[in-house]
Amino acid sequence: MTVFSLVLLTYFMVVSGFVYDVIVEPPGIGSTQDPATGAVRPVVFLPGRVNGQYIIEGLSSGFMFVLGGIGIVLLDLALDKNRARSVKVSYAIAGISSVVIAYVMTTLFIRIKIPGYLRN
Amino acid sequence: PFFASNTTLVAYFFGKEIWDSGAGLVAAILIAVCPGYISRSVAGSYDNEGVAIFALLFTFYLFVKAVNKGSLAWGLASAFGYFYMVFYFLDWVKHMLSDTKLFQEFLRITVTCAVAAGGIALGVGMASGYISPWTGRFYSLLDPTYAKDHIPIIASVSEHQPTAWSSFMFDFHILLFLFPAGLYFCFKRLSDATIFIVMYGLTSMYFAGVMVRLILVATPAVCLISAIAVSATVKNLTVLLRSKNKVAQIGSTKGTSSAKASSKASLDQSQPFQKNGAMALLFGAFYLLSRYATHCTWVTSEAYSSPSIVLAARGAHGNRVIFDDYREAYFWLRQNTPPDAKVMSWWDYGYQITAMGNRTVIVDNNTWNNTHIATVGRAMSSYEDEAYEIIRSLDVDYVLVVFGGVTGYSSDDINKFLWMVRIGGGVFPVIKEPDYLVNGEYRVDKGAAPKMLNCLMYKLSYYRFGEMMTEYGKPPGYDRARGVEIGNKDIKLEHLEEAFTTSNWIVRIYKVKPPNNRW
Repeated sequence: MTVFSLVLLTYFMVVSGFVYDVIVEPPGIGSTQDPATGAVRPVVFLPGRVNGQYIIEGLSSGFMFVLGGIGIVLLDLALDKNRARSVKVSYAIAGISSVVIAYVMTTLFIRIKIPGYLRN
Repeated sequence: PFFASNTTLVAYFFGKEIWDSGAGLVAAILIAVCPGYISRSVAGSYDNEGVAIFALLFTFYLFVKAVNKGSLAWGLASAFGYFYMVFYFLDWVKHMLSDTKLFQEFLRITVTCAVAAGGIALGVGMASGYISPWTGRFYSLLDPTYAKDHIPIIASVSEHQPTAWSSFMFDFHILLFLFPAGLYFCFKRLSDATIFIVMYGLTSMYFAGVMVRLILVATPAVCLISAIAVSATVKNLTVLLRSKNKVAQIGSTKGTSSAKASSKASLDQSQPFQKNGAMALLFGAFYLLSRYATHCTWVTSEAYSSPSIVLAARGAHGNRVIFDDYREAYFWLRQNTPPDAKVMSWWDYGYQITAMGNRTVIVDNNTWNNTHIATVGRAMSSYEDEAYEIIRSLDVDYVLVVFGGVTGYSSDDINKFLWMVRIGGGVFPVIKEPDYLVNGEYRVDKGAAPKMLNCLMYKLSYYRFGEMMTEYGKPPGYDRARGVEIGNKDIKLEHLEEAFTTSNWIVRIYKVKPPNNRW
C-alpha cells in the first residue's frame, strides 16, 4: 500500500514535468499585458508549443492524470465483493466522477494549449 | 513500418504472458496507434529506433517467458533476443564510431564473452576517449542539469529537452490515466512477470520525463500496463453483466428457501441497478478508447506525417500554402556553384545540403566534432571582419542561413542563434552570451544589444529586409517570426555578397568575396 502511494507520487512528479521545471525553471505562471488597459493579466498555459509549460499548469495536469488513475482504482475496489454495499456504491460514484472529471479537464487543458486540436 | 507491425504482434504475446490473452489483445491495439511509437516508425520520420523498440520488446518478452517457463530453451532464445537488440544498438554505435576495424574487434569481444566482457570493452572505450560524446548524452539522464551546464550542444537538441506535461498528453492521451491503474492491478496480482513490467514501466517513465525522445522507450511499457488496466476493468464489468443472468436463472430454476436464496434475492434487487451501471461503464470505457484512437490518428496526421523539408501553412482563407524554399535553395546550389564549393551553415542543414545540394559542408548533423561546430558558431556571432578571418581560414565559399521573418517560420537561425552563441562560447570564451542580451532578454528590434545588431548572423538574415513590406499595416522591416520591427535596417556587407534568396526568403545564400588586393 505504501509502495503504491510512493509510486503514485513519483508518477505525479514525473508526469507534471517536474524535471522540466527544475532544468528550464519556467515561471510559476505566465503574464501578458492587456493591450487596451495596460493591466497585467496572468496566463496559465504557455501558448503555442507542445514542449513547454509553466509550473502550475504542469502540476494541475499531473494531478488530473493521477485523479483519473485513482478513479479507475476506486472502480475496481467498488466491484470487490467483501465490502458493505453502501461503501461499494460510494466508491463506484467517486470512481466514475473522478474519471469523468479527469478526462474532461484534461481534454479542456489540451484544447486550451493547442488551439488547433482535433481540427484539420 | 514492417517492424512496427511485428511490434504489435510481440506486444500481444507479451501481454498474454504477463496477464492474459485479453490484456495481450488490448496491448496490441494500444501500441498499434500510440503516437509515442508512431513518431519513429512512420515514413518520413523512420529511424533505427523503430526496429530497436521491436527488438527490445521481443527480448523482454523472451526474458519473461524464460522466467515463467523455467526452461533452458527459452533462456537461450532470450539471450539471442538480447544479442539481437544489442547488435542493433551496436550498429548505431558503429555509425557513431565510423571505424569498422575497431568496431569488429569490439563486436568479437562482446560476442565471445558475457555482459561482463562487454563492460570491460566499454570501460576501455571510455578511457581512450573514443566514446566520450556518447557518454555525455547518457550521463545527462542521471543528472539532467549536467548537459545544461557543461555541454551546450547536447542541451540544444530539442529532442533532448526534459518533457512537459503536454508532450506526455500528446503522445499518450488516456494511457496516462490507465498507467497508474495498471500499476495497481499489477501490485494486486504480483508475479515475476508483473514485477518486471512494473520496474520497466517506472524506470522508463522516469527517463521519459528527463528527455522527450525517450517517450519512445516508455511507450511499450505504458501500453502494456494500460492494457492490463483496461483488461482487468472490462473483465470485472463483464463478470457483473454475466453473473446477473446466471444468478437470476439459478434463482428461478432452483428456488431454494435457504439463507442463500434470501441473500441472492437481495442481491437480485440491487442487480438491475448494477447491470445498467455495468453497461453504462462499459460504454464509457469504449467511448474513452475510441477517443484515444481519434486522438492518435489526428496526432499522426498533423504532427508525424509531414516531410520536414517542405513547409505547409494555412493561408488567410484556410487554404493550404506550400513553402518549398529549402529544395529551391539546395537545387540552386547544385546547379549554380562550382562542384568543389564549400558551404558554411548551421549543422542542422548539413545532411540536406550534402544530399540535395551535392556540395561539401563545414559541419553537419553528425555533430561529432564540437570544436568545429563552435568555430562556425563563433563566426556567426562575430562582427563581419572577425567572421571573415574565420571564414577564410575554413576555406568557405558560400554561407547559408535560414530566415523566417517574411513567412513567420519560427525554426530559423535567428531563433537558434543563442545556441550558436552558447556552443561557440563553450569553446571560445571571447563569445559571451550576455553581450547579445538586453536585461536577460533576447531582442532584435531597436532596443537590442549592439553586438547583436552587428553580428554576422543578424546581417545575413536581415540584409535588404529593411525595405521589405511583410504585413499590411506594419512598417517595412517587420519580422513576422519575432513580431517586431528590426532594429538595424541599413545593412552593408563588406566581405560577402548576396548570391541567392529563395522566393519566400526562407533560405539565403551569400558568396564569400576574395580578399582585397593589397595596394
